[in-house]
Amino acid sequence: MKVKHIQHLYRRIGFGILPSILETISAKSKSQIVDDLIKASNNTTTLEVDISEIKDIFGGMMMSGSKLDADTRRKIQKISRKKQVELNVSWINRLASTPELLREKMTLFWANHFVCEDNSIVYIQQFNNTLRQHALGNFGDFVKAISKEAAMTKYLNTKQNRKQKPNENFARELMELFTLGEGHYTEQDIKESARAFTGYSHNLRGEFVFKKRQHDYTDKTFFEEIGNFNGNDIIDIILKKRQCAKFICTKVYRYFVNDVVDEAHIDMMTDVFYKDYSIENLMRFVLTSNWFYDDKNIGSKIKSPVEFLVGLKHTVPVTFKNRKQVLQIQRLLGQTLLDPPNVAGWKGGRNWIDSNTIMLRLKLPSLLLNNAYISNIKNGNRDAMIETKKQQFKKKYGKRFNTETNWGYFKKHYKNIALQDMEAHILACSLSEDAKTYLQSLQKVSKQEYCIQLMSLPEYQMC
Amino acid sequence: MDRRKFLKQSSLASSLFFVPSFVKAFEEVASSKLGYKRLVIIQLSGGNDGLNTVIPFRNDLYYKERPTLGLAQNDIIKLNDEVGLNASLAPLKRLYDKGYVSIINNVGYPNPIRSHFRSMDIWQTASDSNQYAQSGWIGRYLDNYGKQSHSAIEIDDSLSLAMKGESINAIATLDPKIMYNLSKGPYLKNINKHLADKHLSEHNLGYLYKSMIAAESSAKYIYETSKTVTSKKEYPKSKFGKQMKTTAQFINSHLQTKVYYTALGGFDTHVNQKATQKRLLNMYAQSMEAFVEDLKANNTFKDTLILTFSEFGRRVKQNASVGTDHGTANNVFIIGENLKKQGLYNNMASLSDLDKNGDLKFEIDFRTIYATVLDKWLEVDDKKVLNKSFNQLDFI
Repeated sequence: MKVKHIQHLYRRIGFGILPSILETISAKSKSQIVDDLIKASNNTTTLEVDISEIKDIFGGMMMSGSKLDADTRRKIQKISRKKQVELNVSWINRLASTPELLREKMTLFWANHFVCEDNSIVYIQQFNNTLRQHALGNFGDFVKAISKEAAMTKYLNTKQNRKQKPNENFARELMELFTLGEGHYTEQDIKESARAFTGYSHNLRGEFVFKKRQHDYTDKTFFEEIGNFNGNDIIDIILKKRQCAKFICTKVYRYFVNDVVDEAHIDMMTDVFYKDYSIENLMRFVLTSNWFYDDKNIGSKIKSPVEFLVGLKHTVPVTFKNRKQVLQIQRLLGQTLLDPPNVAGWKGGRNWIDSNTIMLRLKLPSLLLNNAYISNIKNGNRDAMIETKKQQFKKKYGKRFNTETNWGYFKKHYKNIALQDMEAHILACSLSEDAKTYLQSLQKVSKQEYCIQLMSLPEYQMC
Repeated sequence: MDRRKFLKQSSLASSLFFVPSFVKAFEEVASSKLGYKRLVIIQLSGGNDGLNTVIPFRNDLYYKERPTLGLAQNDIIKLNDEVGLNASLAPLKRLYDKGYVSIINNVGYPNPIRSHFRSMDIWQTASDSNQYAQSGWIGRYLDNYGKQSHSAIEIDDSLSLAMKGESINAIATLDPKIMYNLSKGPYLKNINKHLADKHLSEHNLGYLYKSMIAAESSAKYIYETSKTVTSKKEYPKSKFGKQMKTTAQFINSHLQTKVYYTALGGFDTHVNQKATQKRLLNMYAQSMEAFVEDLKANNTFKDTLILTFSEFGRRVKQNASVGTDHGTANNVFIIGENLKKQGLYNNMASLSDLDKNGDLKFEIDFRTIYATVLDKWLEVDDKKVLNKSFNQLDFI
């Protein structure tokens, strides 16, 4: 497989590929590489932070059978807040170093499809792992599992959806955002299907509970079918619509291939997906298709903040001495994991970019990895004062982020790459004329400094 | 539409290229002579308890529902025989006495949501309570009428949804100098900005170049314009005080910015509300007084309108922890020099006719306030920004 294509593949289903790893697989064929990627993701490793403290409290509650009093609830919330920070940071670290690369990238994708948030660490961690577990599985099973997640029944009010007083929130978003897209159902379909999801609830531990007495057992008329449908039946009826497969394929295409949709490709994907709703088969089809590797698809997407941040870490491992700064950076860049803006998720694409985020993106590599320093010594000169300057920069700008970087790791993995060949490894798209002229005017001090120079360009924002 | 309104609008419209340059030049003269109206939005985050802010102290139900949380007469500054302000708002009362304040009571929206995030989204996007809009109302104002990112500035380190449009976002900054330094990079210094025009095409990389150059130019413009003015006025020594001081500095340096946005947080008073709310309201009122005086000293107050809101009010009945839980309708403060209706704009909410949660039933849809401000103050088509037509009020 062409080196350029392997890099493209890994930028999309992961966060880039190190030259050392690239070397070891470049002799393989496309289907072999894609096969290996899928195999590596056969397993699901759950992402967990230690929540025994809360589980102990729950355990006690179960015994006494009592409800949570205000003090206990506050105590749990306090632990939860702390643990959510931990979970966020573990997720970022996981993304930067996972062997289950495709599964993790898909999990990230689904997290912005089945959008949910909850202030309980117990429920949101469970939700997050449900995304992970089904990320490459059967889409129907996936939707059904999501509909029964404690966090989701809270977030979209299925918990309040009772026979006597249906709450349509979940039913509406199920069709609008999760399966069909706007305009492919009527208000009546929402009303009828909401009745099928009545009685959905959960217990303290986050397990699904079906409250029979609150469920509406009368007939529902949904998409021209009449029956005493429950929630799973409704999902099965939705899946019969080709539009559902098409809606998901379009979203996958926008995320993994190109912001601009090619209808012919979507059609082909829909044919594959509609057959059995296997996400793995769909991804295999996309990643082995020739059009995935068309030039117009390479380096044409704007990285999400998480792709940007994890991509940096993937090239040069960096750890934050203060965990909260990992979240602070995500917030400033406009995407904090586990904290979506609303049920529609992040819009993505060009919406990641505004005056503030572009300025920060261009400065972050130097701030996080190089004491805020970007070498700009002109050709023929030596950057003799570099260490002194870095110390000055660190004093002046470095206060903001307290990080530890592992440049040794970078040097090891970039050992066989000549300095002038670095561009193709760090950047996904070719340099603009301006950037080329600028870089040519600079003295190549070292691989490290050149890496920072490349990462500080608008071109580095592309994947 | 009168001539002045036309000129202002056309210069802000996105069809800028079609406006002959002499008209543009005229507009700049016109706006500096005739004034340049600005809107300052202040968000009290967490859900400020409106009933302990503007207090119906003659209403027995108030004291019945709040036996220990209700404010005693000496903790209240009377506005009339029935209504008073929390005593910590004394500086605001002084502005009130000068006729600079209009208090709109009982503002909310149909089918209220009691989650901070959702309700804040609704206020910021001006959507219905069952809609999930992805752009804010000021963002859509920018989409339709803003020239640049800095046509609206949030005095903070990141942008609220309110400030994000479909095609353009406002700019956020706590400190223009830090932002300016951040915007400077060796590459940007070297890039030939005219050459870069060729990047400004349809593709994503071109968009990044365009954003980078615009960001640098906004950062530079804000920093260099605002540094010409320093405020001598004393503000409270808090983050919020500093934010208001920066806002005044921006306004008094005559930045071409139409909307400023800041937030003061901490109003989620479920427990021991009294002390917390007192401290916050006092910080708010002191900052407002300093801000208004600062603007007056620079002759910019007459062209500034300040709107203060919170995502919801709180439950009428106090809870078991001498605090209050999330509620619904709330009061909105309008501060300005030439208000049409000064003082209390309307009556207080009924405390006997509550919804089934024990919350106030709203009387005024907050979007009618937005529509009024957009049409009468910013002089733009409110329907274009709010995507819907709303009745207007007559406080300005």
